[in-house]
Amino acid sequence: MEIRLHHVDESRSVRVLWLLEELEVDFELVSYDFFDKSLRTAEYLMLNPAGRVPALEIDGAVMCESGAMIEYLCELFPEAGLGRPPGDPERMEWLDWLHYAETIGQHCANLTQAHVVLYEPWMRSSTQMSLEARRLSKVLERIELLLVDGREYLMETGFSGVDCAVGYGVDLARRFVRLDELPGVAEYLERLCARPAFQAAQPEADARRIYAQDFYEVPDA
Amino acid sequence: MIRLHHVAFSRSFRILWLLEEMGLEAEIRHYGLTDGSLRAEEYRSISPAGRVPALEIDGITIHESGAIVEYLCETRPEHGLGRLPGDPERVPFLEWLGFAETQASILASLNMQHLFMGDPSPASPAVLRLEAARLASTLKPMEAVMKKRDWLLPSGFSAADTMMGFNLFSAPYFVDFARFGALRAHIARIEARPAYVRAREKDGVQQFYSKPFYPVPEEA
Ligand SMILES: N[C@@H](CCC(=O)N[C@@H](CS)C(=O)NCC(=O)O)C(=O)O
Ligand SMILES: N[C@@H](CCC(=O)N[C@@H](CS)C(=O)NCC(=O)O)C(=O)O
Repeated sequence: MEIRLHHVDESRSVRVLWLLEELEVDFELVSYDFFDKSLRTAEYLMLNPAGRVPALEIDGAVMCESGAMIEYLCELFPEAGLGRPPGDPERMEWLDWLHYAETIGQHCANLTQAHVVLYEPWMRSSTQMSLEARRLSKVLERIELLLVDGREYLMETGFSGVDCAVGYGVDLARRFVRLDELPGVAEYLERLCARPAFQAAQPEADARRIYAQDFYEVPDA
Repeated sequence: MIRLHHVAFSRSFRILWLLEEMGLEAEIRHYGLTDGSLRAEEYRSISPAGRVPALEIDGITIHESGAIVEYLCETRPEHGLGRLPGDPERVPFLEWLGFAETQASILASLNMQHLFMGDPSPASPAVLRLEAARLASTLKPMEAVMKKRDWLLPSGFSAADTMMGFNLFSAPYFVDFARFGALRAHIARIEARPAYVRAREKDGVQQFYSKPFYPVPEEA
Protein backbone atom coordinates (compact mmCIF):
# COMPACT_ATOMS: atom_id res chain seq x y z
CA MET A 1 0.00 0.00 0.00
CA GLU A 2 1.36 3.40 -0.98
CA ILE A 3 1.03 6.12 1.62
CA ARG A 4 2.31 9.66 1.21
CA LEU A 5 1.79 12.34 3.86
CA HIS A 6 2.07 16.04 3.09
CA HIS A 7 3.28 17.72 6.21
CA VAL A 8 4.22 20.97 7.93
CA ASP A 9 6.13 20.81 11.21
CA GLU A 10 3.94 21.62 14.24
CA SER A 11 0.73 21.69 12.17
CA ARG A 12 -2.23 19.31 12.38
CA SER A 13 -0.39 16.90 10.10
CA VAL A 14 1.66 15.99 13.18
CA ARG A 15 -1.35 13.96 14.34
CA VAL A 16 -1.12 11.76 11.28
CA LEU A 17 2.67 11.59 11.15
CA TRP A 18 2.70 10.50 14.79
CA LEU A 19 0.01 7.88 14.14
CA LEU A 20 1.90 6.50 11.13
CA GLU A 21 4.98 6.18 13.36
CA GLU A 22 2.91 4.39 16.00
CA LEU A 23 1.51 2.04 13.34
CA GLU A 24 5.05 1.29 12.13
CA VAL A 25 4.00 1.26 8.49
CA ASP A 26 5.99 2.43 5.47
CA PHE A 27 5.17 5.86 4.12
CA GLU A 28 6.70 8.75 2.27
CA LEU A 29 6.84 12.18 3.90
CA VAL A 30 6.69 15.40 1.89
CA SER A 31 7.42 18.50 3.97
CA TYR A 32 6.39 22.10 3.33
CA ASP A 33 7.12 25.45 4.87
CA PHE A 34 4.07 27.08 6.46
CA PHE A 35 5.18 30.62 5.62
CA ASP A 36 6.71 30.48 2.14
CA LYS A 37 3.57 29.87 0.01
CA SER A 38 4.60 26.32 -0.85
CA LEU A 39 1.07 25.23 0.12
CA ARG A 40 -0.23 27.58 -2.57
CA THR A 41 1.47 26.07 -5.63
CA ALA A 42 -0.81 24.76 -8.38
CA GLU A 43 0.58 21.29 -7.76
CA TYR A 44 -0.34 21.32 -4.09
CA LEU A 45 -3.75 22.88 -4.68
CA MET A 46 -4.56 19.97 -6.96
CA LEU A 47 -4.14 17.71 -3.95
CA ASN A 48 -5.79 19.92 -1.39
CA PRO A 49 -7.79 22.79 -2.93
CA ALA A 50 -7.91 24.56 0.43
CA GLY A 51 -4.11 24.70 0.54
CA ARG A 52 -4.05 23.16 3.99
CA VAL A 53 -2.14 20.39 5.66
CA PRO A 54 -2.38 17.51 6.17
CA ALA A 55 -3.04 15.84 2.85
CA LEU A 56 -2.73 12.09 2.67
CA GLU A 57 -2.37 10.11 -0.52
CA ILE A 58 -3.39 6.58 0.09
CA ASP A 59 -3.83 3.99 -2.62
CA GLY A 60 -4.80 6.58 -5.18
CA ALA A 61 -7.24 8.48 -2.96
CA VAL A 62 -6.47 11.87 -1.42
CA MET A 63 -7.66 12.79 2.06
CA CYS A 64 -7.58 16.28 3.58
CA GLU A 65 -9.05 15.91 7.08
CA SER A 66 -6.80 14.73 9.89
CA GLY A 67 -9.63 13.15 11.90
CA ALA A 68 -10.85 11.17 8.90
CA MET A 69 -7.28 10.02 8.21
CA ILE A 70 -6.86 8.76 11.76
CA GLU A 71 -10.11 6.84 11.69
CA TYR A 72 -9.38 5.36 8.27
CA LEU A 73 -5.78 4.40 9.04
CA CYS A 74 -6.89 2.67 12.23
CA GLU A 75 -9.41 0.69 10.17
CA LEU A 76 -6.82 -0.24 7.54
CA PHE A 77 -4.38 -1.54 10.13
CA PRO A 78 -6.58 -3.20 12.74
CA GLU A 79 -3.77 -5.44 13.99
CA ALA A 80 -2.08 -2.41 15.58
CA GLY A 81 -5.07 -2.06 17.90
CA LEU A 82 -5.13 1.74 17.74
CA GLY A 83 -8.78 2.03 16.69
CA ARG A 84 -11.88 0.91 18.53
CA PRO A 85 -14.00 -0.51 15.70
CA PRO A 86 -17.81 -0.55 15.57
CA GLY A 87 -19.07 -2.90 18.26
CA ASP A 88 -16.08 -2.34 20.55
CA PRO A 89 -17.18 -1.37 24.07
CA GLU A 90 -15.05 1.80 23.80
CA ARG A 91 -16.29 2.69 20.32
CA MET A 92 -18.51 5.58 21.36
CA GLU A 93 -15.86 7.17 23.59
CA TRP A 94 -13.22 6.73 20.92
CA LEU A 95 -15.38 8.56 18.39
CA ASP A 96 -16.30 11.29 20.84
CA TRP A 97 -12.64 12.01 21.63
CA LEU A 98 -11.61 11.81 18.00
CA HIS A 99 -14.04 14.59 17.15
CA TYR A 100 -13.34 16.47 20.37
CA ALA A 101 -9.75 16.81 19.16
CA GLU A 102 -11.06 19.38 16.68
CA THR A 103 -13.01 21.24 19.37
CA ILE A 104 -9.63 21.69 21.04
CA GLY A 105 -7.90 22.22 17.69
CA GLN A 106 -10.22 25.03 16.65
CA HIS A 107 -9.37 27.13 19.69
CA CYS A 108 -5.67 26.46 19.12
CA ALA A 109 -6.09 27.49 15.49
CA ASN A 110 -7.89 30.72 16.44
CA LEU A 111 -5.13 31.56 18.90
CA THR A 112 -2.45 30.67 16.37
CA GLN A 113 -4.07 32.96 13.86
CA ALA A 114 -4.19 35.84 16.34
CA HIS A 115 -0.73 35.42 17.87
CA VAL A 116 1.35 34.08 15.00
CA VAL A 117 -0.31 34.65 11.64
CA LEU A 118 -1.66 38.19 12.17
CA TYR A 119 1.63 39.85 12.87
CA GLU A 120 0.17 43.38 12.67
CA PRO A 121 -0.85 44.39 16.20
CA TRP A 122 -3.81 46.44 14.94
CA MET A 123 -5.35 43.33 13.42
CA ARG A 124 -5.53 41.57 16.74
CA SER A 125 -8.23 41.84 19.34
CA SER A 126 -7.07 41.16 22.88
CA THR A 127 -10.73 40.59 23.82
CA GLN A 128 -10.93 37.74 21.36
CA MET A 129 -7.54 36.36 22.38
CA SER A 130 -8.32 36.18 26.07
CA LEU A 131 -11.75 34.75 25.35
CA GLU A 132 -10.24 32.03 23.18
CA ALA A 133 -7.62 31.21 25.81
CA ARG A 134 -10.35 30.84 28.43
CA ARG A 135 -12.40 28.64 26.13
CA LEU A 136 -9.34 26.52 25.40
CA SER A 137 -8.64 26.04 29.07
CA LYS A 138 -12.27 25.06 29.59
CA VAL A 139 -12.20 22.38 26.91
CA LEU A 140 -9.02 20.94 28.44
CA GLU A 141 -10.85 20.52 31.75
CA ARG A 142 -12.77 17.67 30.21
CA ILE A 143 -9.50 15.74 29.85
CA GLU A 144 -8.59 16.52 33.45
CA LEU A 145 -11.96 15.13 34.59
CA LEU A 146 -11.50 11.97 32.54
CA LEU A 147 -8.04 11.25 33.91
CA VAL A 148 -9.01 11.44 37.61
CA ASP A 149 -9.73 7.70 37.58
CA GLY A 150 -6.01 7.12 37.07
CA ARG A 151 -6.06 5.98 33.46
CA GLU A 152 -2.90 6.72 31.46
CA TYR A 153 -4.52 7.48 28.13
CA LEU A 154 -7.94 8.58 26.90
CA MET A 155 -9.15 5.02 26.47
CA GLU A 156 -9.13 2.98 29.66
CA THR A 157 -7.70 0.01 27.76
CA GLY A 158 -4.64 1.96 26.69
CA PHE A 159 -3.03 4.13 24.04
CA SER A 160 -4.97 4.60 20.79
CA GLY A 161 -5.26 6.80 17.71
CA VAL A 162 -7.33 9.37 19.57
CA ASP A 163 -4.34 10.15 21.78
CA CYS A 164 -2.53 11.32 18.62
CA ALA A 165 -5.49 13.52 17.70
CA VAL A 166 -6.08 15.02 21.14
CA GLY A 167 -2.45 14.90 22.29
CA TYR A 168 -1.33 17.12 19.45
CA GLY A 169 -3.88 19.70 20.64
CA VAL A 170 -2.70 19.48 24.24
CA ASP A 171 0.89 19.94 23.16
CA LEU A 172 -0.16 23.11 21.32
CA ALA A 173 -2.46 24.34 24.05
CA ARG A 174 0.40 24.60 26.56
CA ARG A 175 1.66 27.55 24.51
CA PHE A 176 -1.56 29.47 25.18
CA VAL A 177 -2.78 28.31 28.59
CA ARG A 178 -0.81 27.40 31.71
CA LEU A 179 -1.24 23.80 32.66
CA ASP A 180 -0.55 24.43 36.39
CA GLU A 181 -4.22 24.11 37.22
CA LEU A 182 -4.59 21.01 35.07
CA PRO A 183 -2.01 18.66 36.62
CA GLY A 184 -3.59 15.55 35.13
CA VAL A 185 -3.36 17.05 31.67
CA ALA A 186 0.27 18.05 32.25
CA GLU A 187 1.18 14.50 33.28
CA TYR A 188 -0.73 13.06 30.34
CA LEU A 189 1.29 15.30 28.03
CA GLU A 190 4.54 14.13 29.63
CA ARG A 191 3.54 10.51 29.02
CA LEU A 192 2.80 11.30 25.38
CA CYS A 193 6.07 13.17 24.89
CA ALA A 194 7.97 10.15 26.17
CA ARG A 195 6.69 7.97 23.33
CA PRO A 196 9.28 7.34 20.61
CA ALA A 197 6.65 7.79 17.87
CA PHE A 198 5.72 11.22 19.25
CA GLN A 199 9.37 12.22 19.24
CA ALA A 200 9.80 10.98 15.69
CA ALA A 201 7.01 13.35 14.63
CA GLN A 202 8.69 16.46 16.07
CA PRO A 203 10.68 18.98 13.98
CA GLU A 204 14.42 18.63 13.46
CA ALA A 205 16.54 20.91 15.63
CA ASP A 206 17.20 23.43 12.84
CA ALA A 207 13.69 23.37 11.34
CA ARG A 208 11.68 26.52 10.74
CA ARG A 209 8.88 26.45 13.27
CA ILE A 210 5.36 27.88 13.36
CA TYR A 211 5.73 28.55 17.08
CA ALA A 212 8.83 30.55 17.95
CA GLN A 213 7.74 31.12 21.55
CA ASP A 214 7.11 28.60 24.31
CA PHE A 215 4.27 30.72 25.63
CA TYR A 216 2.08 33.42 24.12
CA GLU A 217 0.67 35.95 26.57
CA VAL A 218 -2.49 37.83 25.67
CA PRO A 219 -1.36 41.38 24.83
CA ASP A 220 -2.78 44.34 26.72
CA ALA A 221 -5.81 45.93 25.09
CA MET B 1 -35.28 6.82 25.63
CA ILE B 2 -33.33 9.28 23.51
CA ARG B 3 -32.76 12.83 24.75
CA LEU B 4 -31.15 15.61 22.73
CA HIS B 5 -29.75 18.72 24.38
CA HIS B 6 -30.26 21.43 21.86
CA VAL B 7 -29.83 25.09 20.97
CA ALA B 8 -31.96 26.35 18.08
CA PHE B 9 -29.97 26.89 14.87
CA SER B 10 -26.74 25.50 16.31
CA ARG B 11 -24.65 22.41 15.56
CA SER B 12 -27.17 20.29 17.45
CA PHE B 13 -29.56 20.83 14.54
CA ARG B 14 -27.42 18.30 12.66
CA ILE B 15 -28.56 15.66 15.10
CA LEU B 16 -32.15 16.84 15.37
CA TRP B 17 -32.44 16.48 11.61
CA LEU B 18 -30.68 13.09 11.48
CA LEU B 19 -32.97 11.71 14.19
CA GLU B 20 -35.95 12.77 12.07
CA GLU B 21 -34.45 11.14 8.98
CA MET B 22 -34.17 7.92 10.99
CA GLY B 23 -37.65 8.29 12.42
CA LEU B 24 -36.30 8.10 15.98
CA GLU B 25 -38.44 9.63 18.69
CA ALA B 26 -36.45 11.91 21.01
CA GLU B 27 -37.11 14.21 23.90
CA ILE B 28 -35.63 17.64 23.20
CA ARG B 29 -34.26 19.89 25.93
CA HIS B 30 -33.85 23.48 24.80
CA TYR B 31 -31.03 25.80 25.91
CA GLY B 32 -29.85 29.30 24.99
CA LEU B 33 -26.32 30.46 24.16
CA THR B 34 -26.52 33.63 26.22
CA ASP B 35 -28.95 32.87 29.07
CA GLY B 36 -26.47 30.86 31.16
CA SER B 37 -28.40 27.62 30.76
CA LEU B 38 -25.38 25.80 29.29
CA ARG B 39 -23.36 26.84 32.35
CA ALA B 40 -25.88 25.56 34.91
CA GLU B 41 -24.64 22.89 37.34
CA GLU B 42 -27.16 20.41 36.03
CA TYR B 43 -25.90 20.71 32.47
CA ARG B 44 -22.27 20.42 33.56
CA SER B 45 -22.89 16.84 34.55
CA ILE B 46 -24.15 16.15 31.04
CA SER B 47 -21.57 18.14 29.07
CA PRO B 48 -18.41 19.13 30.99
CA ALA B 49 -17.52 21.70 28.32
CA GLY B 50 -21.05 23.15 28.41
CA ARG B 51 -21.67 22.72 24.69
CA VAL B 52 -24.38 21.38 22.45
CA PRO B 53 -25.18 18.91 21.11
CA ALA B 54 -25.24 16.25 23.77
CA LEU B 55 -27.20 13.09 23.08
CA GLU B 56 -28.34 10.63 25.72
CA ILE B 57 -28.95 7.28 24.05
CA ASP B 58 -28.53 3.57 24.78
CA GLY B 59 -27.50 4.44 28.34
CA ILE B 60 -24.60 6.68 27.29
CA THR B 61 -24.01 10.36 26.54
CA ILE B 62 -22.20 11.52 23.39
CA HIS B 63 -21.11 15.12 22.85
CA GLU B 64 -19.52 15.74 19.52
CA SER B 65 -21.90 16.11 16.59
CA GLY B 66 -19.57 14.14 14.30
CA ALA B 67 -19.29 11.31 16.81
CA ILE B 68 -23.06 11.23 17.31
CA VAL B 69 -23.59 11.03 13.56
CA GLU B 70 -21.14 8.14 13.27
CA TYR B 71 -22.59 6.34 16.27
CA LEU B 72 -26.19 6.63 15.06
CA CYS B 73 -25.24 5.39 11.59
CA GLU B 74 -23.31 2.42 12.95
CA THR B 75 -25.86 1.34 15.52
CA ARG B 76 -28.85 1.94 13.21
CA PRO B 77 -27.48 0.68 9.89
CA GLU B 78 -30.96 -0.23 8.62
CA HIS B 79 -31.51 3.42 7.63
CA GLY B 80 -28.54 3.32 5.26
CA LEU B 81 -27.43 6.83 6.14
CA GLY B 82 -23.81 6.04 7.00
CA ARG B 83 -21.02 4.58 4.92
CA LEU B 84 -19.54 2.02 7.26
CA PRO B 85 -16.02 0.49 7.25
CA GLY B 86 -15.53 -1.40 4.01
CA ASP B 87 -18.02 0.71 2.06
CA PRO B 88 -16.56 2.11 -1.19
CA GLU B 89 -17.63 5.58 -0.03
CA ARG B 90 -16.09 5.23 3.41
CA VAL B 91 -13.32 7.75 2.70
CA PRO B 92 -15.49 10.53 1.24
CA PHE B 93 -18.05 9.99 4.00
CA LEU B 94 -15.42 10.51 6.71
CA GLU B 95 -13.90 13.42 4.79
CA TRP B 96 -17.22 15.27 4.63
CA LEU B 97 -17.78 14.76 8.35
CA GLY B 98 -14.39 16.33 9.02
CA PHE B 99 -14.85 19.06 6.46
CA ALA B 100 -18.14 20.05 8.09
CA GLU B 101 -16.13 21.08 11.15
CA THR B 102 -13.40 22.77 9.11
CA GLN B 103 -16.16 24.96 7.75
CA ALA B 104 -18.09 25.25 11.02
CA SER B 105 -14.99 26.48 12.83
CA ILE B 106 -14.93 29.49 10.52
CA LEU B 107 -18.64 30.04 11.13
CA ALA B 108 -18.11 29.78 14.87
CA SER B 109 -15.31 32.31 14.68
CA LEU B 110 -17.48 34.71 12.64
CA ASN B 111 -20.38 34.24 15.06
CA MET B 112 -18.09 34.93 17.98
CA GLN B 113 -16.54 38.04 16.50
CA HIS B 114 -19.70 39.55 15.01
CA LEU B 115 -22.22 38.65 17.69
CA PHE B 116 -20.72 37.79 21.05
CA MET B 117 -17.90 40.25 21.73
CA GLY B 118 -19.95 43.41 22.27
CA ASP B 119 -21.52 46.02 20.03
CA PRO B 120 -19.63 47.42 18.23
CA SER B 121 -17.38 44.38 18.09
CA PRO B 122 -13.73 45.02 18.97
CA ALA B 123 -12.74 42.52 16.27
CA SER B 124 -10.69 44.02 13.48
CA PRO B 125 -12.43 44.48 10.12
CA ALA B 126 -9.34 42.98 8.48
CA VAL B 127 -9.83 39.74 10.38
CA LEU B 128 -13.57 39.65 9.74
CA ARG B 129 -12.88 40.10 6.05
CA LEU B 130 -10.28 37.33 6.11
CA GLU B 131 -12.65 34.93 7.86
CA ALA B 132 -15.48 35.67 5.42
CA ALA B 133 -13.10 34.99 2.53
CA ARG B 134 -12.02 31.72 4.17
CA LEU B 135 -15.66 30.73 4.52
CA ALA B 136 -16.35 31.50 0.87
CA SER B 137 -13.37 29.39 -0.15
CA THR B 138 -14.85 26.39 1.67
CA LEU B 139 -18.14 26.89 -0.17
CA LYS B 140 -16.51 26.76 -3.58
CA PRO B 141 -15.70 23.03 -3.59
CA MET B 142 -19.24 22.30 -2.36
CA GLU B 143 -20.66 24.39 -5.16
CA ALA B 144 -18.61 22.33 -7.62
CA VAL B 145 -19.98 19.08 -6.20
CA MET B 146 -23.57 20.31 -6.24
CA LYS B 147 -23.29 21.17 -9.91
CA LYS B 148 -22.74 17.48 -10.54
CA ARG B 149 -25.22 15.81 -8.20
CA ASP B 150 -27.99 16.28 -5.68
CA TRP B 151 -26.23 15.16 -2.49
CA LEU B 152 -22.66 15.15 -1.22
CA LEU B 153 -22.04 11.46 -1.96
CA PRO B 154 -22.57 9.97 -5.43
CA SER B 155 -24.76 7.16 -4.06
CA GLY B 156 -27.26 9.63 -2.66
CA PHE B 157 -28.47 11.25 0.54
CA SER B 158 -26.49 10.40 3.67
CA ALA B 159 -25.71 11.63 7.15
CA ALA B 160 -22.90 13.67 5.58
CA ASP B 161 -25.64 15.93 4.25
CA THR B 162 -27.17 16.36 7.71
CA MET B 163 -23.71 17.19 9.08
CA MET B 164 -23.78 20.23 6.80
CA GLY B 165 -27.20 21.14 8.17
CA PHE B 166 -25.95 23.85 10.50
CA ASN B 167 -23.33 25.21 8.12
CA LEU B 168 -25.40 25.86 5.02
CA PHE B 169 -27.99 27.80 6.96
CA SER B 170 -25.49 29.96 8.86
CA ALA B 171 -23.08 30.72 6.02
CA PRO B 172 -25.51 33.06 4.17
CA TYR B 173 -25.31 35.48 7.12
CA PHE B 174 -21.68 36.15 6.21
CA VAL B 175 -21.25 35.31 2.53
CA ASP B 176 -23.49 36.44 -0.30
CA PHE B 177 -24.90 33.28 -1.92
CA ALA B 178 -25.77 35.02 -5.20
CA ARG B 179 -22.75 33.40 -6.84
CA PHE B 180 -23.47 29.94 -5.40
CA GLY B 181 -26.43 28.89 -7.53
CA ALA B 182 -25.90 25.16 -7.12
CA LEU B 183 -25.73 25.55 -3.36
CA ARG B 184 -28.97 27.53 -3.34
CA ALA B 185 -30.61 24.74 -5.31
CA HIS B 186 -29.13 22.28 -2.83
CA ILE B 187 -30.61 24.19 0.10
CA ALA B 188 -34.00 24.14 -1.63
CA ARG B 189 -33.69 20.34 -2.01
CA ILE B 190 -32.95 20.04 1.68
CA GLU B 191 -35.91 22.23 2.57
CA ALA B 192 -38.17 19.94 0.56
CA ARG B 193 -37.35 16.89 2.71
CA PRO B 194 -40.19 16.05 5.11
CA ALA B 195 -37.72 15.05 7.85
CA TYR B 196 -35.97 18.40 7.54
CA VAL B 197 -39.30 20.23 7.80
CA ARG B 198 -40.23 18.26 10.93
CA ALA B 199 -36.82 18.99 12.44
CA ARG B 200 -37.21 22.73 11.83
CA GLU B 201 -40.60 22.63 13.52
CA LYS B 202 -38.93 21.24 16.64
CA ASP B 203 -35.82 23.43 16.35
CA GLY B 204 -37.14 26.43 18.28
CA VAL B 205 -36.58 30.11 17.63
CA GLN B 206 -33.15 31.21 16.43
CA GLN B 207 -31.87 33.79 18.89
CA PHE B 208 -28.51 35.15 17.84
CA TYR B 209 -28.82 36.61 14.34
CA SER B 210 -30.83 39.83 14.50
CA LYS B 211 -30.36 40.81 10.86
CA PRO B 212 -30.25 38.86 7.62
CA PHE B 213 -26.64 39.67 6.71
CA TYR B 214 -23.48 40.70 8.56
CA PRO B 215 -21.25 42.69 6.23
CA VAL B 216 -17.65 43.41 7.11
CA PRO B 217 -17.70 46.70 9.04
CA GLU B 218 -16.00 49.78 7.57
CA GLU B 219 -12.34 50.22 8.45
CA ALA B 220 -11.97 52.56 11.41
N1 LIG C 1 -9.87 20.20 9.81
C1 LIG C 1 -8.60 20.13 9.13
C2 LIG C 1 -7.89 21.45 9.28
C3 LIG C 1 -6.57 21.54 8.59
C4 LIG C 1 -5.92 22.93 8.76
O1 LIG C 1 -6.58 23.93 8.93
N2 LIG C 1 -4.57 22.97 8.73
C5 LIG C 1 -3.83 24.19 8.94
C6 LIG C 1 -2.55 23.91 9.66
S1 LIG C 1 -2.79 23.27 11.27
C7 LIG C 1 -3.43 24.81 7.62
O2 LIG C 1 -2.99 24.12 6.73
N3 LIG C 1 -3.56 26.13 7.46
C8 LIG C 1 -3.11 26.81 6.32
C9 LIG C 1 -4.15 27.73 5.76
O3 LIG C 1 -5.31 27.67 6.25
O4 LIG C 1 -3.82 28.45 4.85
C10 LIG C 1 -7.83 18.98 9.71
O5 LIG C 1 -8.09 18.60 10.85
O6 LIG C 1 -7.01 18.39 9.01
N1 LIG D 1 -17.18 20.20 17.69
C1 LIG D 1 -18.38 20.33 18.46
C2 LIG D 1 -18.67 21.78 18.70
C3 LIG D 1 -19.82 22.04 19.60
C4 LIG D 1 -20.04 23.53 19.85
O1 LIG D 1 -19.09 24.30 19.97
N2 LIG D 1 -21.32 23.94 19.93
C5 LIG D 1 -21.67 25.33 20.14
C6 LIG D 1 -22.98 25.65 19.47
S1 LIG D 1 -22.89 25.55 17.72
C7 LIG D 1 -21.84 25.60 21.62
O2 LIG D 1 -22.36 24.77 22.33
N3 LIG D 1 -21.43 26.78 22.08
C8 LIG D 1 -21.70 27.20 23.42
C9 LIG D 1 -20.47 27.67 24.12
O3 LIG D 1 -19.36 27.39 23.64
O4 LIG D 1 -20.62 28.30 25.14
C10 LIG D 1 -19.49 19.63 17.72
O5 LIG D 1 -19.40 19.50 16.50
O6 LIG D 1 -20.44 19.17 18.36
